[in-house]
Order: sequence, then structure tokens, then C-alpha cells
Amino acid sequence: MDPITFSIVRHRLFRVIDEAVITLKHVSGSAITNEGHDLMVSLYRADGSLLMGGVGFLHHLTSAAEACKAVIRRFEGDIGEGDVFLTNCPYTAALHTSDIYLVAPIHHGGRLVAWSACFVHVYDIGAMVPGGFSPGSRDIFTEGFSSPGIRLVEGGRIRRDVMDTVLNMVRAPEMVALDLSSMIAANNVARERMVALIDKYGSKPVDRACAMLVDQSETLFRARLRELPDGRWESRQYFDVEGETCRVLLAMTKEGDALAFDFTGSSPQSRYGINCTYWASWGGFFAPLFPLLCYDIVWNDGVLRPVTMIAPEGTIVNCTRPAPVSLATVGAIQSVNNAACTCISKMLSASEKYAGEATAVWHGSHFAIFLFGLNQRRQEAIGILTETFGGAGGARGRADGIDVGGEIPNPIGRMANVETTEATFPVRYLFRRARPDTGGPGLYRGGNGIEFALVPHDAPEGGIDYVVSGKGTEFSMSEGLGGGYPGAPCAFRRVRNDDAARPGANAHPRSLEEMTGEKEAVSWGVFPLGGEDALYVRSDGGGGLGDPLARPPERVRADVEAGAVSEAVADGIYGVVLADGAVDAGATESRRRALRTARLAPAAGG
Amino acid sequence: MAGEGGARYVVATDVGGTCTDAVVFAPGAPVRLGKALSTPPDFAAGVLAAVRKAADDMGMAPGALLARTTLFVHGSTVVDNTLLTRSGARTGLLATAGFEDTLLVTRGAYGRWAGLTEDGIKHPVATDRAPPLVPGALIRGVPERVDYKGAVLRPLDEEAARCAIRALVEGAGVEAIAVAFLWSFYNPAHEERVRDLIREIAPEVYVTLSSAIAPVPGEYERTSTAAINAYAGRIARDYVTGLRALLRSEGYDGPLLVMQGYGGLLPAEEAADRAIGMLECGPAAGVIGSRYLGRLMGDDDIIACDMGGTTFKVGVIRGGAFDYAREPMVDRYHYVAPKIEVASIGAGGGSIVALDPGTGVPRVGPASAGARPGPVCYGLGGAEPTLTDVMLLVGYMDPGTFLGGSIALDAAAARRVFAEKIAGPLGLAVEEAAIGIYRIAAAQITDLIHEITVERGLDPREFVLHAFGGTCGLVCGVFGADLGVRRIVIPYTASVNAAFGLVSADVVHEYSVTKALPAPSPAREIEAIYAPMAARARAQLVAEGFAESDIRLERSIDLRYGRQVHEVTTPVRGAAPMDTAAVERLMADFEALYERKFGAGSAYRAAGMEMTMFRLTARGLMERPRLEAAALAAPDPAPARTGRRDIFVEAAGGLAPAEIYDFDRLAPGNVVPGPAVIHSPITTIVLQDGQSGRMDAYRNIVMELA
Repeated sequence: MDPITFSIVRHRLFRVIDEAVITLKHVSGSAITNEGHDLMVSLYRADGSLLMGGVGFLHHLTSAAEACKAVIRRFEGDIGEGDVFLTNCPYTAALHTSDIYLVAPIHHGGRLVAWSACFVHVYDIGAMVPGGFSPGSRDIFTEGFSSPGIRLVEGGRIRRDVMDTVLNMVRAPEMVALDLSSMIAANNVARERMVALIDKYGSKPVDRACAMLVDQSETLFRARLRELPDGRWESRQYFDVEGETCRVLLAMTKEGDALAFDFTGSSPQSRYGINCTYWASWGGFFAPLFPLLCYDIVWNDGVLRPVTMIAPEGTIVNCTRPAPVSLATVGAIQSVNNAACTCISKMLSASEKYAGEATAVWHGSHFAIFLFGLNQRRQEAIGILTETFGGAGGARGRADGIDVGGEIPNPIGRMANVETTEATFPVRYLFRRARPDTGGPGLYRGGNGIEFALVPHDAPEGGIDYVVSGKGTEFSMSEGLGGGYPGAPCAFRRVRNDDAARPGANAHPRSLEEMTGEKEAVSWGVFPLGGEDALYVRSDGGGGLGDPLARPPERVRADVEAGAVSEAVADGIYGVVLADGAVDAGATESRRRALRTARLAPAAGG
Repeated sequence: MAGEGGARYVVATDVGGTCTDAVVFAPGAPVRLGKALSTPPDFAAGVLAAVRKAADDMGMAPGALLARTTLFVHGSTVVDNTLLTRSGARTGLLATAGFEDTLLVTRGAYGRWAGLTEDGIKHPVATDRAPPLVPGALIRGVPERVDYKGAVLRPLDEEAARCAIRALVEGAGVEAIAVAFLWSFYNPAHEERVRDLIREIAPEVYVTLSSAIAPVPGEYERTSTAAINAYAGRIARDYVTGLRALLRSEGYDGPLLVMQGYGGLLPAEEAADRAIGMLECGPAAGVIGSRYLGRLMGDDDIIACDMGGTTFKVGVIRGGAFDYAREPMVDRYHYVAPKIEVASIGAGGGSIVALDPGTGVPRVGPASAGARPGPVCYGLGGAEPTLTDVMLLVGYMDPGTFLGGSIALDAAAARRVFAEKIAGPLGLAVEEAAIGIYRIAAAQITDLIHEITVERGLDPREFVLHAFGGTCGLVCGVFGADLGVRRIVIPYTASVNAAFGLVSADVVHEYSVTKALPAPSPAREIEAIYAPMAARARAQLVAEGFAESDIRLERSIDLRYGRQVHEVTTPVRGAAPMDTAAVERLMADFEALYERKFGAGSAYRAAGMEMTMFRLTARGLMERPRLEAAALAAPDPAPARTGRRDIFVEAAGGLAPAEIYDFDRLAPGNVVPGPAVIHSPITTIVLQDGQSGRMDAYRNIVMELA
């Protein structure tokens, strides 16, 4: 294969995906797709293996490959030019029913040469709760419609019967129709561009370039693995739902140029929809693996080849049908993301060359809050509060975590402006800001998370409902690394009879402490936000890295000055004593000595 | 027609990152060009030097030229440069209490990844936000609150505002303050009151209100815009005032107009207070120049390309109109201001050619050797092969005539380095590898143009391509053919593109009012929004000396489908005032534009339509330079032929003999058949096999494709 054609074909494949993503965003026009970038478009080889993954929600790169393969198996001998297939069955490939895959074969000269696939989180899926996240579901049957594979478009024509049946099962069918149209359009663009590419360079050279692209990723990834030390690294992730504590256990073993992920010991599947299926776990650890280990390698099947997984059947990471999974993306998958991030980072930390690439967990809980109800324009509004895409960066091998800095599995998310949310939903923010002290202390500090509070405002029905599916309130899910502390856990307060929501009370609290109502800690379920209610949310912070007692005192002082760290934490955890805003070197040294002694005390006592 | 002795001149100068260009026009006289190195941070020296070059060419002293100048038009990168070098004012920010972190938090990861390449985005652990222009310690919350309807929920606490202002000015020593409150674009009263308080407490402090500089929804982008403007405001104001003083001391006291990123001119006094407006005004001027040239040649659909030392830039003109950038950034800071969209990639003459260390796959750019050390063949110490070296190896450049012979190119060194670093490891012969690299560069440019045409529903085959900049003529024959454009024009002013654009622009004021109205709404409600805007615009232009007959007011309205995020700025057709039929026409136009922009099937009518922003563009028409057409000679270019050598010819798949021509000896009317190379002192034009280049009456080279 000549390197020039290879270089040109590779560049053009990037462009194909990029153009398909733009098409998807344009046609969809929805906030979650456009603001949150909760989407994905990728290209697959004729056998359904990943050819080139786009930058989107990365759990989906491998799951969509499974979607292609499932369609190939199910429809073998009956896959026509211009067909588009829909699947959203979590027990087939999807992560949860709300994430619909549309996969489409690409033919050239009558021969199937490739697949394109994309996903968006659709507006509604007909589950028991609007928007799809259903804390009350106890099985997959109450989580909306679910198809293991159905032909939505046949020979370029939308099958009206299928489309109408799908739309008949969801709320706001016109919004879901738009989501589906956007994915059909994205697949169309991907197909047209691939065909043009093959027309120009010939089917053999393009096929060879694609094969080479996959082989090259494998070669590069294996070479990187060989550079890293052999070993076994473990991580434990706990999360709480309604008093039930679940555990994801991961042992990652690296030997030579092979990597094995073993989830043996993880909790049995839960009665709540936080479980995830086999392919979701598989995608769940690739989501951090791609950007952490393969940031300079094309994300495709070559990266998958050196990797194996054990996920015991009937556990929270490989649940058995009909276990509910509607909250998988913010449940077990998130824990798989986090555990993999920690294991991979531990391995990176053990390498002098790659220690700078290690990172503590970012935005461990991925709290999600859905709002639904009538908005100020009397429209039925359903949507996620995009603060969940605000995230919080974990501390890195050579740098602090980034305050409200996003997350690893969705490299280009962002949150909406306050003004956008206030124009869309009948709510008003009391405050929204980075929350000091939420980032895990460490030699490198974890990024702080965000906090905000809402009250109803101009709601025609007096209020709106919200779904909380937060875990990570009891235990932090943003694990620290190398002696760094975890980020602070997240917190949700249902506040009743608050002055801030009372017209004429002229109350303007700037923090939870200043709010006057009765505060109840919640983390799971559907609640009203009406009358004089308020909702307070604090996201988790990023994990810290390294011992906070080793952090240069000057940096702690700067954090205090910037309002990122309180004096109490500077003193109590970092052991840095400030006097009139300056570091008191002598007092700091003795404070740190005292903290070290206190750490050793229990050990000394036996 | 008066000779040059008695002429009145229009002088345009454009200060770019590397060079400052001058263009001098006079009726009936040839266009004069001047070029000098830019001289940051005191750009004035470069401006004078460029004017002097042009004056020299005319046999005049610069003072004598300026004494006969009737209009001085100017564009500058001074504000871009202030941001890039972080040399702005110590700036404070006043925000709504409870929302002090809006600027720092950058809508989450947005500020961390925006502006990065794909490679950067894929490596989140290595990414960071740019350091904020206003550090957290200089941000203060002010108790006040307005809701989404513009209703005051909490009155401004003036005493707290005074305290915050004093803390910033007296305590922290800020020189500038940005004020950005929630929903201020609907109700700016609180911001305006705070401005008055600042003036009262600290009259010397530079103030920018978000509601004045960017009256649009979206508090992060609006705050960021206000912060940038406050940060660079004093420098921009001093720059414009300084230029005015300099021109006075050189004998010019006439009108001074300054280019804006949206492609219009503003009187210096007004431009001085809108630092944000000067961002990226050079590329915008280039697009404006291209549009004017296109009109002269009868082309309204143009792809305007500019390729210099480090970047390839491209803007698209369709039906004489252009798109504005949706989420513009300077460096890595977001702002909202109308700015002509210009896409770019790091591909220029100085772009470094390298093999990926892991894969051995060749890459062009984005790293650049710049002007120093520059390409290997310049012999200035460059040790990395660049695209310019590749151009030399494929025979496109003549070692003896580069830049009029001022630099002798070292072909042997270029060959040695290229063989060692690229061809050898690839296992290819030098020429073969060089041809391959050339193809990669051309393909990347094709992909970029594809991105801003085909991906937006535009068919490049309907466009004429304008090739500006020193390097574009070397590649345009290949990527132009790849895109299938109608033809390619290499303008006579190709090397001073932006300065030429300055003299083709009008004075343009942009006004807007953000207000949500359902569509349709009664025409009188729309008129009620426009009446005060139009009166203000007209008064402004009249005060600037425009006759009523030279004033044009153009309306456009942003519409969107209900529950959808994409807004489309839709021009209002027909004369004011609008009636019911005009509103209906507007809605139909919106629907057509939407489908064209976002693709068939993207229209979403179920939730109705709404109008979100009412825009008014007020144009004061400027007199255009009249280019004199020369008489056409016979097609035969033989007198300009200087030799023959082997060059890369796409159709031959390798090197093949080609005729070489001297641009300065070509006469209007001459037609050069490809394969051929035309050398001018400032650029080189390559014609592929089957292509031909005709010099038109304005000395533009018009290339017809095979």
C-alpha cells in the first residue's frame, strides 16, 4: 500500500465522520445532541468491526460494532442497498433503550463494503418515566420499546409501517421523528462520501487502506503495551441506590502486549435499572482506554484485538434479561468507566515515560437529572439538566484536575447557559458556580465540581417534575490516585417551603446554607418542583493524585486565594497554615509533621 | 482624466501578523502596491514603511502622497495580537451575584476543547483551558437579578456595586472593568447604572457592558465578549488615536476608516471603542475584496482562498453574500460578534513535512518553519523540510527568480534534507516522494474546501476560485480541478489581498434587538422594533457625512423552529415598512434557507416558528476604485517565455517538460497553455496539462480548467 494514498484515505475517512456528525446535529436540532454532544457516528468494516471511531460518547464505539454484527447475523442474505436498521435492545448491543442505533450498510458496485452507524439519546422511548430514565422500573419491559433489529429504511425508502409503529410508542413523537431523521441523514452522508472515496481511489486500494488502518492501530497499541510494565492492577467502585450498595470490582492484567479486564467479584445484578449488559461493560472500559492509551492511535478494531474481558453472567456488569437497565449509562457503566480509568492510570503511573498520562477519576457519579412537564410556553418539555456534562476533571500525572472540566468518555461535552435552561424550562437558578473543596486533595488537586439551585418560575401548572438518579451520595465515585483523596461525593437536596421560591419574600440565597426551607437528602426517584420547592444539586469533584502533604504550600495558598480551597481544608488536609494570606512556613512544617504522625498513629498502636 | 501629478488618492493599509500591505488607488492611474514587515507592538512604523514603498513606486515622498490623499482606510491585527501576547489591561469583571464563575467555568469542558484539532480533542488528559483574561480574584458578584422576560426580580444593590467597584479599582488596581449580568440583553438598566457608578468612582477606568457589546442570549459567550473587549479596549483605542495622530503629523487630516471582522468599515472614532470588532478583520477584508473583484468580472459565487507561509484560509461567497461564523474564537476565547466565516488549516509554504514517528505516515503541517528559519532552501538555517522545499523539488520554483531574485534558493540542500528525512524512510525516489507530499497537501486543502461548501449544501462546481497569497498559485490548479470549480482567478492584487479588500468595502453599522416573537406576528409589532433602530442608524450615517441617497438599510431576522436550537438569519426582502405579505415571505424564505443549510428533511414545522433577533445593517456606500482596463494584445505569450524545465505534471504522473513564463512580460490578452509555470516577483502560478491561463485586461490570470 503506498503511503501517500494511505495518508489521503485516512484523512478523508476523518472528514466523512465529521461531516456525518455535522449533518446529525443540523437535522436533529435538539439540545442534548447539540449542547451535550450526546451522540456518536462511526464507520465499520464489512464484517461490522470498527474501522474509525468518531469523537462522541465513546462507550458507543464498540457497542455500535456489536449492533452492526447483530444485524449482519439477523438479516444475513437480506441486507440491501439503501437499507437502514434500528436496534436499541440492550441485550443485543445498546446501552439502554433510549440510545437508539441506526446502522446502515454501504454498498459499492453491488457489494457490501462497509457500515456506518450512529446513535443519539432520543427525546423519549415510551418508558414509564418521560425521557427514559426510570428509577421505578423493575424489568426491561417497563423501560420503553426495545428492538433487537428492525428495518426502518428499505432501499432508501422509510418504511412507514415501522416508523409509525415506533412513533406510536413514544411521547412527543414529532421530536423522536426528528431524532430518527437526523440519524438517517447522517448515515446517508456517510454512505455517499464513502462511495465517492471508493469511486476516486478504487475499491481495492481503499479496502487495503482500511485493512492497513486497522492493522496499524493494533501494531501501535501492542507496541505501547510492550513499553508499559507488566502487572495486575485493581480498582473497586461502590455505589448506592436506595440503601443498596453495589460494587464493581475490576482487576486489569497486562502481560506483554495483551490486556485483560476481569470483573469477577462484582455485585449480583440489582433490582434497579443501574445494571448493564455485557456489551455495555465492554464499551464501558474502552471509553477511557481509547483516550488514555490510544490518544495518538486511530480508534478502531485494531485496538480491540489485544484486549479480553471476563464479566460473570448475572452480575451488575453483565445482567440477565429481563433485568432493568434504563439507568445503566449513569449506573454500572459509569463505574466500569471509573474502575478502568483507575486501573489504566495505575499502570501508566508505573512507567516513567507515561506517568504524566495517568489521571484520577473525572466526574465519577455522572449524576443525571431529567426535568419533565409543561414549560412557560405551555409546551411539554422533557430534558436533561446539562450540568451533568459540566463534569469535573481528575488530577493528572503532571497537572491539577480542571474545575468543572468535563469527563473522559465524552471528550467534547459542554453544558448549557443558565439563560438557555431558564428559557426552556419553567425554572430559575438561584446560583450556579464551581464548588470549593469538592476536588480531591492531592499533590495534584482534583478539579472542583459544580453546585446550583433551582426554583420553579412561571410554571403554568405551578411546577415541574424531576427525576434524580444520582448515586455517589454515600461514597465518592471519583477515586483518587497514588495517595490522592477522592473527590467529594455528590449531593441532592429536595428543599420545601423555601423563601427563595416565595414571591415577595425577596430571599436570594447564595448557597445551600443560606436556603431557609426544609432540606431533605434525596438521590433516587421522581419528585415535584412546585410551589415553594427548591432543588439543590452539588456534583462530585474530580479525584486527587499524590499525597496532599507533598503539595507545594505556595500552590495551596494560590488555591485559597482563588477560592478553590477553603482555609480549613488547606489547614486540615494539606497541612498548610496561612497567616494574612501568606504561607507561614514554620507553622506549615509542624502542621504537616503532626498530620503525618497522626496518620501513622493507628498503625503504631497496632 | 488627470495624470498622476494631479490625482487624489485613496490609501489602504492592512497590518497583518507578518507583513503590512498598502494599496494606493487614483482614478486613471495604475494600482500601486507596497509591502513592508509588520512592526509589533508599535505597528505605526510598518504602516509608514508600506506607504513609503508604494510612494517610492510612484516617485513621490510619502508626505506628498498623504497630502493628496482623500481617504485613508485601515485594518489591523492589533487586537488579535493583544490577545495572543496577553498584553491587555488588568481587567476586572462584575457579574450577577451567585454566577461569578460563569467566565471561569466556560460552560464546562467547552473552553477546554474548543479550538483544538482532532488530535488535541482525542487527548483530554493533555488539555487545559486558556488562562482566563480575568482571574477569579478580579471577579465580583453584584446583587441584582432579571428574569427571562426582562423583569426585575431583584433590584440592583447600588451600595454593594459601589463596594465592588472600589475593591477592584482601589484594592486590586484594575484598569478596565467588564460588566455582564444575566438577561441584560433584554433589560440593560442594571448594567447601565453600574457603568454610571464606575464613571463616578473611577472615570479613568475603561468600561465594557455586555449588553452594549454583545446584546445576545447566552451569558457565557456574552461575558467572554465583554471581558475581551475590556481587556483590549484601551490598546485598541490608543492604537486608533495614535494612527490618527501619526497621519496628521504626516500631513493627512481626512477621514480614517477602520475595518471590522464583519467586512464593513467604521469611522475611527467609533471603531476605537469596539476592540472586538477589529478581530480577524484582515481575512474578512480579503473576502470583501474577492467579492468586489468577482463583481467586476461578473462572478457572484466565489471560493476565496489565501495561502501564505503558515496557513491556508478560505471564505465562501454565494450570490454576493457570505456566512458569519457561529461560534467565533480569538486564540481560545469565545466571543459573539458578527464575523465573516473564514476556515483555515495549517498548510502553507512554511508547513513542515514530517513522518509520523509511530506509523511512518507522511504529514504536512500544522507546524510551520515560518519565515525564520524558514524552508531549507532559503538557507537561513531551516533544517526541516517544508512544503516550499517540496515545490522546489517538483520543479515549480525557480531557484534563480524567487522573490525577484532576492533570495537564491539552495536546491541541493533541500534535496539532501528531503531525501534523508522523508524520501529515504519512505523508500521512494526524491521526486516521487515530493510529488506524493504535494498531493497530500492538495488533498487536505480539497477536504477543507469540501467541508465549507459541500457539507453546507453548496456545490463547488458552481463557484469560481480566487487564489490569493504567495503560495496558492502553486497548488490551486490541482485542488481546483479536484473540486471541479468553474475556473480559477489569480488576481493581480493576490499578494495584497486584504488591503485591496479595504478599498472595496462600505461603511457598515450593525444593530440588533433580541426579542422572541412568534412567527407570524403582526407586521406592526415588527415595525415597532425596527423604527427606533432605523432612525438611529440613519442619523449615524448622516452624521458621518453620507448623503441620503448613499444610505442603505438592510433588515434581517433570525428565525428558528420551535424547540430547535438552530437559528437562521433570514434577509427581509422588499421595502420597509413590512406588511402581512412581507412577514409571510420572510417565513417562506426562512424555510428554504433552513433546508438548504441543514439538509432536506431537517425542517421541523410541528412546533411552529419563532423570531428571536431583529438585525439592521446600515450601509454608507463608498466610492469604489475604478480599475482601468488595458487594451488586449494577441493571445501568443511567446515574448514572455523565458525557458523550459521539468515540472510535476499531474496527467503525466511524474515530471515532464513545461514552458516557463515571466509574469511581468506577459501582456493582457496573452494566453499561456499548460503545462507551464508563470513566475512573478511575488508569486508563482502553475498550470497543469490541459489548463490555460489568460491575462485579462486587469492583469489577473484567469485559469480555465481542462
